[in-house]
Amino acid sequence: MNTRRLSFIITTCAAALLCAELASANTPTIRLFPTTVVEDLRQTGNVARDMETGLQEVIGQLDQQQQLYQESKCDGAENDAGCQRLARQIGATYLEMLTIMEERLPDMEHTVNNTRVSLEKSLRNELGKKMTPWTLQETLIGSSSTSTSAAAAPTLRGRSGMRLSERFKNYYQLVATSGAKGDQSLAVLASDIYLDMEETSTLIARTRQEIARATLMEQLNQSFGIITPEMMEVVGGVKTILFGDDESAAAVAGPPPGSIEQAYRSPLEQ
Amino acid sequence: MNKITVLLTLLISSLLASCASNQPSCEGPQSRNLDSAISSVQASLMNGCVGHFDRYYDELLNIAEGDPKPENKRAFSEFLVWATDSGLLSKRQAEENYNRYFNVKFMSLKGDYNNCSHTCPNKQRVLMNMEQELSDKERGLMRVSLDQEGYYRADRLYQEVELVLEATCTACSAGR
Repeated sequence: MNTRRLSFIITTCAAALLCAELASANTPTIRLFPTTVVEDLRQTGNVARDMETGLQEVIGQLDQQQQLYQESKCDGAENDAGCQRLARQIGATYLEMLTIMEERLPDMEHTVNNTRVSLEKSLRNELGKKMTPWTLQETLIGSSSTSTSAAAAPTLRGRSGMRLSERFKNYYQLVATSGAKGDQSLAVLASDIYLDMEETSTLIARTRQEIARATLMEQLNQSFGIITPEMMEVVGGVKTILFGDDESAAAVAGPPPGSIEQAYRSPLEQ
Repeated sequence: MNKITVLLTLLISSLLASCASNQPSCEGPQSRNLDSAISSVQASLMNGCVGHFDRYYDELLNIAEGDPKPENKRAFSEFLVWATDSGLLSKRQAEENYNRYFNVKFMSLKGDYNNCSHTCPNKQRVLMNMEQELSDKERGLMRVSLDQEGYYRADRLYQEVELVLEATCTACSAGR
């Protein structure tokens, strides 16, 4: 499992609430998040949450079984009948995990694709065809070019290793406390989500193929009661999705803002 | 006939000699004080050294880096306005020179056509120009004017433009 998949789940979950909040709080002058996109995002967020809930239990069970396998000193004693039985149990739980993913992924794929297509259209029309590079820059920078606080913009990139639901809650709080956002934040947000969705569509398709292959392999392994390294790798990947990635530390804080007053404005300034 | 030739030769020689003695040296400012340096540059520019404007501007930036302060921004602005009023620069050139170094906005993003048709096909070049401009902004905003906040905003704007253009251009190409 690729950790990148985490980012799309997080993004979609966050975006679902974020956009719902934005849609109700203020009406953007550029229509990057029409109602259909908001609805698609909400749905994707729900599917992601269901998947999290469904997998959490199975993962916990797998952890316990694996611990028991190790405590029973089954590593290197694969021919032992008890160890083979434990290995089959682990394999069965692993299959259960693959089945849950197989069940949830088509829904996810569908909503992700819907969102991607809707956002694609919005981005193309609103930022691609209706704007010049200069107006795009002005949209991004907002009305106050030099006094915009760095903390004002929501940052979706550089996600830290954190439990999915916790991350989701944090995004919600960010939106709830930051108040009304201008078009500049929406443009970045829409771009970020769209690129994530773009990548995610490909990843989901690949994952579904892999699940089919992994399921077949595990069904064969069930006859022998073998735990393959690949199996543990996949479980590790899923855990990363659910509980976060330790390697990706929190984003490094930016440099301190300057203390210089921005009183002077040149007549040449554009 | 010979006399006429001699007279002509003398006349040409004296003309050439007078031209040589009046040619401005166009040396850079000697003072490390920005105000004095600007005055010196203004005198040189008015004395026929307009062709060296870019070099002078660069030297003034060097001098200002030696004594960075927020007021330097105003000094450069006034210098450029003076250059425009004196007819040495067009308003557009003055704006380009000022904003490239002292404004958060990127002059590299000037353009009259929509992003799908014009910016996206040249995306790499646009981003490369922005990157070069960002380093000029680091010089102007940070090292000359001590405007850290302005520079950090420009840096973030560059990253945002990069992200938004990537998404927008992908969307544009998908719609073809």
